[in-house]
This record gives sequence, structure tokens and C-alpha cells, in this order.
Amino acid sequence: MKKKTMNKIVAPALALGLLVPLNAQAADHAPTASTPAGDLRATLDQLLSEHYVLAVTSMMKAYDGAADAEVAMKALDQNAVDMTPAIASIYGDEGAAQFEEIFRGHNDYSADFVEAAKSEDQELRAEAEAEVDEFVEEFSTFLDAATEGNLPKDAAADVIELHEDQVLSVFDSYVAGDYESAYMTYREGYKLMFDISKALSGAIVTQMPDKFDTPADTPAVELRSTLNSLAGEHFALAAIGMQKGYDQAEDFDYVSWAEDQNTLDFKAAIASVYGDEGAAQFEKVWNGNHITAQGDIVAATLEGDEAKIEEARMKLDQFAVDFSTFLDAATEGNLPQAAGQEAVMKHEALVLQTFDQYVAGDADAAWMSFREGYAFMFGLGETLGNAIVTQMPDKFAETTMPEEMPETGLGGAQAQSMNTLYAGLAVLGGILLAFVTLRNRKQSVQ
Amino acid sequence: MNKRHLFLALSLFCFGFWTWTSAQESSSPPVEEKQIEESPDLSAEFSLLQEEVKKLRLAVEEESAKAVTPVTIQIPKINVDTAIEQVGLLENGQMGVPADEDQVGWFEPGVKPGSEGNAVIAGHVDSKTGPAVFYELDQLVAGDEIVIVDEAGNTLRFEVTKTERYETANAPIKEIFGATDKRNLNLITCSGTFGSAGYDERFVVYTELVDAEIPLADDVVLDVPTNVELRGTFLTWHAVRNDAVIGYRIYQVIDGENVHIESVPSHARKSIEVPDEAATYYVTAIDRLGNESSPAEATE
Repeated sequence: MKKKTMNKIVAPALALGLLVPLNAQAADHAPTASTPAGDLRATLDQLLSEHYVLAVTSMMKAYDGAADAEVAMKALDQNAVDMTPAIASIYGDEGAAQFEEIFRGHNDYSADFVEAAKSEDQELRAEAEAEVDEFVEEFSTFLDAATEGNLPKDAAADVIELHEDQVLSVFDSYVAGDYESAYMTYREGYKLMFDISKALSGAIVTQMPDKFDTPADTPAVELRSTLNSLAGEHFALAAIGMQKGYDQAEDFDYVSWAEDQNTLDFKAAIASVYGDEGAAQFEKVWNGNHITAQGDIVAATLEGDEAKIEEARMKLDQFAVDFSTFLDAATEGNLPQAAGQEAVMKHEALVLQTFDQYVAGDADAAWMSFREGYAFMFGLGETLGNAIVTQMPDKFAETTMPEEMPETGLGGAQAQSMNTLYAGLAVLGGILLAFVTLRNRKQSVQ
Repeated sequence: MNKRHLFLALSLFCFGFWTWTSAQESSSPPVEEKQIEESPDLSAEFSLLQEEVKKLRLAVEEESAKAVTPVTIQIPKINVDTAIEQVGLLENGQMGVPADEDQVGWFEPGVKPGSEGNAVIAGHVDSKTGPAVFYELDQLVAGDEIVIVDEAGNTLRFEVTKTERYETANAPIKEIFGATDKRNLNLITCSGTFGSAGYDERFVVYTELVDAEIPLADDVVLDVPTNVELRGTFLTWHAVRNDAVIGYRIYQVIDGENVHIESVPSHARKSIEVPDEAATYYVTAIDRLGNESSPAEATE
């Protein structure tokens, strides 16, 4: 039953990403973020970044001996299982089975790292590290073969190794109580997943031109991916931050800090489209009844202050109105206010649902809501991205480029043209000589 | 507590014992109203969690009680100047003893020296090879001085009120360890005849607090909040990582005056919406005793 729900969460993205026929794209070549390649990249963005968030979070939870640690680990495994259909739609069932075996297995090492840290077992740590090395080797070999060299083994190995290093670095800093480093690396590691997704989707698109007629890195798709990254990170930090706040965890303030950094990145993205004034407006709306209100809900829950919780919830409703009004105005109606409000309300509902279930001690429900809420953000990236792209088609126009230079001559005048070339070179040489002489003279006068 | 158990424990080991639960119940008198009034009304300013309120009460109580966590004891009369170990309860309900015969053990589950109640310190009279730290404890008489110093150098002076010798099995545990409205410190060692069950007597020195040199709360230096930033109307800062901090005050400069505009409890997100993005803001940290850190100015 639960498993079914989980699968459903990912299904819409997959359906778009991999099963839509090619000619569905608008014939008039208006730029859009909803291309088959864009959908593929969004699916990988979502699954790979979710893998990272769940891996890091479940390791922290396991180290703390948190009541929901096991459920978080299960969510991590479910995320791996959800990747299989995505891979199968590209490389068939056999390839997918191979992928699942390699990828799913590597999640087990995280438990070993946690155990090694808890019992200060150097040997177990070394063993787990060796297993990670083996995984990097195996997985990069698989990717090279699957993409027929479009994602070369060395390049794949480098980036996977970096990812594993970052996960471990976040965990080690967390264990050492160095939360500033932990969350600085957390953010870097999160962004890397989108680089991995870009490289992998690019390789697949290049490998299968029949399936994907446009690149995975058009300006519109880039925008969609950027918005997905920012929105997904916001959800993850909001949901995890609220849990840490409720637990009064030592790193609570650092999650808030990471959340504020995410806001700054979001602001910069808005600035690149709408300028500084629009970005300042965004920031005010975003923090005012949104980030602050989520914080208020945590504090009020700890204080058992129902009235204050209610007040904060109303602030979030106001945020949905204000933010959707802002987006409607900014996109000049391309993201209509009512649709925007509905989407924002849905997002806030999922954040609060995740929190309420966590507070109630229902870890299964909380982590299912977390996954649902996380997946939901990746629809927002597409909706908002397309609204912006539609509003500013020139800014996101794909520069059409041929693969080879044109054959702009038939050879009939070849002899003459060669003479012209030599004559040109001779003139150029003369000018150079004159210039050098002039320089030398100038210097000797001085 | 049953009598047979008590006798067994005392006869097997040198020192008297007490059970923590009864010590707890009886040694935590309700906080006097006067003390609450003297303390800043922090619970009205910061919406504190229950746990914080408990800590706040304890802090106020300890401050007014001049209690310290003892690290050194000096008894000039018998040339004792040694470190204090913390001892607890053994599994059989007996008070623990210091591992080092030249040091003494403060019964940590009981009250702190300087607070209301009977704080207890025990020391060995001898080791297997010769005299130990409290060998001459029985030389003390009423009026002699005991000095207790804590990690920060806070110094408490106690004066001997009386000394008593008890048969091990009949030592008045409640008188030695139990509740009282005085601020007492009692010292225990062995005496009498050494037999197969150890010494058959205990020697107890009763003392009372006469003087405390504790720096005023104003002297406490609290770390200043860092990373205080104003972005638009969103003011954020990093928490001061100190368990004693209960919250933060935010000041806005209005007409050249620092006006206190908001207080944020330590359990909340360290950010607020401020009314005027062009104004100057300061954030300070507040601890349980109402000490306030230096202000940190918000940068953009």
C-alpha cells in the first residue's frame, strides 16, 4: 500500500520525461522547458538530489539514534527503487536491473559509516571506504557502457567519488559538531547532484537523438533545472529544519542558516530575470510570512501555544496570496495568480503535514509526506520556468547551430584566392615589422 | 530506607550513605518569593519552554544560594589543601569514596556547597600503608575554618559548628545529609577501631557558611551574537552556543536611541521581520540570570 503511493509520486514526472512522443513539442519552435530532454533531466534532478538529501539526513538520524532513523533509511532505499523504472524506460529492463543492483547496494554502506562513527571503529570505517571505492568503479563502468561512452568512465568516476566524499564530509563534520562546515558542504553536495544529472541526461540525449530532439541544456531547460534545485532545496531545508527545531537539535540554527543561503540563491536567480528591484520584492515576500511563519510554528508547537500556531498558519495562507500575486505580476500573467496560489498552498500544506506527522511520532507518514512534498517542488520548477520562458522568449531562444560549417565554395576560383591570401599575409607582416621597429625606437629615446 | 540495608552498607564500607531520591525531595525547598522578585522577570519577556523555566528557577536559586561546584578544599588548621572529586551513589545505596586517598569526595547527587541544605564531603582517614587526607580531621573544633573554591575561583568560607563521633550503624544519616534551611557543609571520615568490617565509628565535622566571595552577575561576559545580518526587512543572526542563553533582544535605533523592539527565545528561529529596512539594529544575548551580552550591529 505504502509502496504504491511512493511510486505514484514519481510517476507523473516519469510519464512526461520518458513516454511523451517527440512530436508533442510545439511546432513553432517557441522556446519551452517542457522538452523530452528537459523532462528527462528534471526526473534525474529529482531522484538524484533526493537520494543525496535522504542519504545525508538518514545518516545523521541514525547517528543520533533518532526514532525515525530506520524509516528515513527506508525512504532512501525506496528512492533507489524509484530510479529503476526511469532507467528501464531508456535502457530496458535488463539495464535497469543491473543499475538497481549496483545503485541500491551502495546505500548499505551508509549504515556502516554510521556504525563505525558510533563505535569509533577504524577498521569498519576503512572497510566501508573500500566498498565505496568499489562502487565508484562499478557504477562508472556501468554508466560508460550504458551511455556508449557518452559519459566516459573517468568523468563519471570523478563526479561520483566527489559525491561520496561530500556525503561523508557532511556526516563527519556533523559527528564532530562542526555544523557550519557540515551545512556548507551539504549545500555544495546538493548542487553537485544537479551537475551529475546534467552530465548524465546530456549523455543520454546525445546517445539517443531519435528519442530526444533537443539538447538537455537549452536555456529554458537550464532555468527549469535551476528553479527545481532551489525549490527542492528549500523544501528539504524547511522540513528538516522544522524537525531539528522541534527536537531543539544542536544544529538547528545551522539549518536555518543554510535555508537563508538558499533564499539568497533564489533571490539571485530572480535578479537574473527580473533585476534587483524584483529580487528585493521577492525576498521580502518570501521571508515575511513564509520562512518566519514556519519558524513561528515550531516555536509555538514547543510552547504548546495553539493560538500562535493558528496565527502562523494564517500567515502562510497570506504568503500564498502574496507570492502568487508577485509571480503573476512578474510573469505578466503567464503564471496566473489563482494557479500560483493553489500551488503554493499545496506546498505549504505538505510542509506542515510532514511536520505535524513528525511531531505526532508517525515516522512512516512523515517520511512519505516528505517524499511527496519534495517531488512536488519539481513540478513548480517546470510551471514557473515555462511562465518565464513564455514571457521572455528572446531571452530563452535556442541559438540554432549547425553541426558543421557550410560548404560555401565550389573551388572554381581557388588559385586566385590563394594568391590573395599570401598577399594579405605579406601586408600583415609588414605592419608587424613597422610596429616593432617603432616600439624599439620609442624605448631607445626614453 | 530499611534499617538492615543501612547497617549492612555502613558496616561494609567506610563512609555513610544516603539515597538520592530522598535527598532530592527534601533538599529542594520551594524558591522563596523574595528571590523571584529579585531576579529579572525573564519568563514574561521570553516565552520559555518548561525545561527552560526549570533551569531558570534553578539558576536563580543557585545564584541566591551562592552555591558552587567545589574543586578545592582548604582546611588551614590541619594543613589540608587538596582537590575534590565528585562521588555518587554505589549500587548498594552507599555514598561513593574518592579514588585518591589524598583527595576528598563531594557527594554530587546531594546539594552544592553554599546552597541550602547539607552538602557532604568525605575523605579517608588512612590508606593501607599510612595516614590519608583526613587523618587529623578530629583535631578540628568549633570556630575552625574550611574554605571551598570552585573552577572560577569563587570562594566559600565555612565555620565548624560542632564535631560528633558515631557508631557506624547509628550515624544520623538525616542530620548529616538531609534538608535544612541552613547552608551547611559536613565532612566525614572514619574513626574508632579497625576490624574485619572496617572502622566501627564515623567522625563528622558540621560546618556552616559564613562568607562567600562570588563575583556579581554583571561580571559575567556573555558571547556576542555573530553573523547579524539585515536583508531587506529580514534580520538574522547566529545563536550563541551557551546553554545558559535563554534568548535574544533586538534593538532598533530610533532618533538616536536604542529601542528594545523584540525578544526572541533561544528555542526559536534566529530571525525576525523588522519594521524599517533602512534603520540600524542591534542584537544581544541574554542568559538565565538576566546578564546581557554586548550588542552586535546588523550589517547588510
